[in-house]
Amino acid sequence: MAASIAPECNDIKEKYDTCFLKWYSEKYLRGNTSSNDCEELFKNYKGCLNKALKERGIDSMLDDARKSSSSETDAEFLKKS
Amino acid sequence: MKVFSSGCTFDYSWDEVSTANWRKYCPWNDKSTHVVGVDTISRSVDPSTGILRTERLITCNQSVPQWVLSLLGGTTTSHVYEISYVDPVAKKVTMCSTNLTWSNVLSVRETVTYRQSSLSPTTTTDFTQEAKITALCGGWQKIKNKVEDASVERFRENAKVGREGFEAVLEMSRRVFGEQRDLEKQRMQA
Repeated sequence: MAASIAPECNDIKEKYDTCFLKWYSEKYLRGNTSSNDCEELFKNYKGCLNKALKERGIDSMLDDARKSSSSETDAEFLKKS
Repeated sequence: MKVFSSGCTFDYSWDEVSTANWRKYCPWNDKSTHVVGVDTISRSVDPSTGILRTERLITCNQSVPQWVLSLLGGTTTSHVYEISYVDPVAKKVTMCSTNLTWSNVLSVRETVTYRQSSLSPTTTTDFTQEAKITALCGGWQKIKNKVEDASVERFRENAKVGREGFEAVLEMSRRVFGEQRDLEKQRMQA
């Protein structure tokens, strides 16, 4: 799996990524889309990552991009096909 | 604005491709070494459609031509914001990304799709890629054109090695998943 931008988050990221991939291939793709096996791991990973993004000053530029482009793509791709 | 587009067909099922896509930038891919970080910012499943929505931050260490560096500022680390949608019913992945670094002088918007191929849907997957590149810096059109052309050229190079790298990941994924399945079978029989 790819590394995190923050080396201190690599361990928890690796655990989360492994959990997600297992959930994705064994549950999500087989129709069990509502299960949420990796929530706790993701919470811990996100806690570590958010701190790192803030320290590196990436958080505000990321927030701007999220605000400006996600509503547009959500409207196009988050609907029933 | 310049547009770069490309496409190809992978000889793997959509399930395999969409799974391997999450580990596209792992050590199995020795081609896309310019990607140094992939972090997931948010992830959720839309309850009414089952569509998986993921936001990621991709961090790259690019070798950039010196003249571009002096124009855009002296950093070789760049960040990309990516939002993706997996539609498990239509069997389609759409990934939209935009550059965070140098965004005041250059806008790069890329859309990538992986969908079940119409000819042999159970065994092959169609890939499309389109990037719209616009130089925003004021000043001479000549310089803008040069910046856009250099960006398109870099896209072309990355697209080629990106495909080769992803092929390697697909091959390894199939092998490893196959081995896991065999192990499980053996365990069941024992």
